Amino acid sequence: MTAYGFEWAAIARGLPYLLEGAGLTVMISSVAMVLALVLGLALAAISQAPGPVARRLVAAYVEVFRNTPLLIQIFIVYFGLPQLGVKLSPFLSGLAALVLYAAAYNTEIFRAGLEAVPHGQFEAARSAGLGELQILRYVIMPQAVRICFPALGNNLVSLVKNSSLVSTIGMVELMFVANDISFNNFRTFEIYGTAAVMYVVIVLALTRLLRAAEGRLLRAPA
Amino acid sequence: MSPIRRSILVALATALIATVAAPAGAQSTLETVKKRGKLIAGVKTDFPPFGTVDAAGKNVGFDVDVAHRFAKALFNDEQQVELVAVTSGNRIPFLQSSKIDIIIATVTITDERRQVVEFSEPYFMSGSLILVPRASAVTSLDDLGGKTVAVIQGAIQDKDVEQLQPKASRVKFGKVSEAVLALKGGRADAYVHDDIVILSLAKENADLKAVGKTFVPRPYGIAVRKGDTEFINWVNAELKKMHTDGTYDRLWKKYFADVEQFLIKP
Repeated sequence: MTAYGFEWAAIARGLPYLLEGAGLTVMISSVAMVLALVLGLALAAISQAPGPVARRLVAAYVEVFRNTPLLIQIFIVYFGLPQLGVKLSPFLSGLAALVLYAAAYNTEIFRAGLEAVPHGQFEAARSAGLGELQILRYVIMPQAVRICFPALGNNLVSLVKNSSLVSTIGMVELMFVANDISFNNFRTFEIYGTAAVMYVVIVLALTRLLRAAEGRLLRAPA
Repeated sequence: MSPIRRSILVALATALIATVAAPAGAQSTLETVKKRGKLIAGVKTDFPPFGTVDAAGKNVGFDVDVAHRFAKALFNDEQQVELVAVTSGNRIPFLQSSKIDIIIATVTITDERRQVVEFSEPYFMSGSLILVPRASAVTSLDDLGGKTVAVIQGAIQDKDVEQLQPKASRVKFGKVSEAVLALKGGRADAYVHDDIVILSLAKENADLKAVGKTFVPRPYGIAVRKGDTEFINWVNAELKKMHTDGTYDRLWKKYFADVEQFLIKP
């Protein structure tokens, strides 16, 4: 048996491909993030509508997508839906699953934020003559978003890391490229280590961005 | 220091520590296995007829029988073997990281792999064939230009198709079952893999057919950790015994009888 010798050259050879994969990881994660935020916010707002129907429908969606593994959702969209005649491209399949999964969490986070705003705020705004949408937009949302910001940030970080699962459906993102290289040169530690560092860099960039956004939000007048 | 620069440094430091701390085991795996009282073998679970799982959840196949035979030779009890499911991609990392003692999982012997593992004498010859939907007009590699071809990550066909049909776009999956699903769902026009698995899949799936002429035949070998000559010599001696005592012929008939005319017997 031979001792394991760390091989920098393996990293150097793999680097261009890994960077290319990281590019797709950043791309699919950012698009999924924006869509999951919009969808989550919309569903949270809908769940505040009067009457039980909207609330229950949103709750059903959240339970289904939050209580099943993301990998199963990806496989259902990619392998399962074509059997029902719905054939999304690999990119759209992966994106759809990531968005639906992350948005389920976002919905709960936004809902918690909305419900944390004291009820008196609604009444005060209403008596000031604001309409329902105005109340949501100018009174409730600014406070709710601040409350849920840290939880939201956590979920977005998870989204970046979860995007590695779309490697299973042939999407050539960072995890896929790392598999591809290490399955051929067998420099497992070097290649996955490098990929891990790249994920750290991507997530650090994201958390910085989030911190800047949070700073702006806190500075804005209530 | 910025957090990014700091995290890169931490990762580099970890890498350096791993370099220095890499263990240099002197003992042959054969001793470890005997002391443990059990052989840990990596086998396939998605590769008929070499390694699959039957309806009762039991590992079955040519390679699985070989693993049991090795256990019998070691402990006079063919059940003293733990079967670990591996894929084309992860089997060599599993061996390198000592999660398994031996790979009996349709490993094609290549020069690149020889650099990192110790191979036994060949125990099977396999070329590659093409699996397509029954209605497909594809009959050869030439027809795959401009088509989407499924291959398995870490399998030799990934490179073969790249070289022999550069106009095909490859889509890579981790497991055989996923490639078959992709083919059935129209996500790929063809799936290229070892002849024996393609023939078995065509037999099991009425909506699929095997086409093409077997290309680039290469031998399968059993693999152990690099430099472990004691263990690989033992494996070779056992393989030889299997040939002389008729076990090999029996297994051949059991698993390959109906596709025999397509195969090259070593």
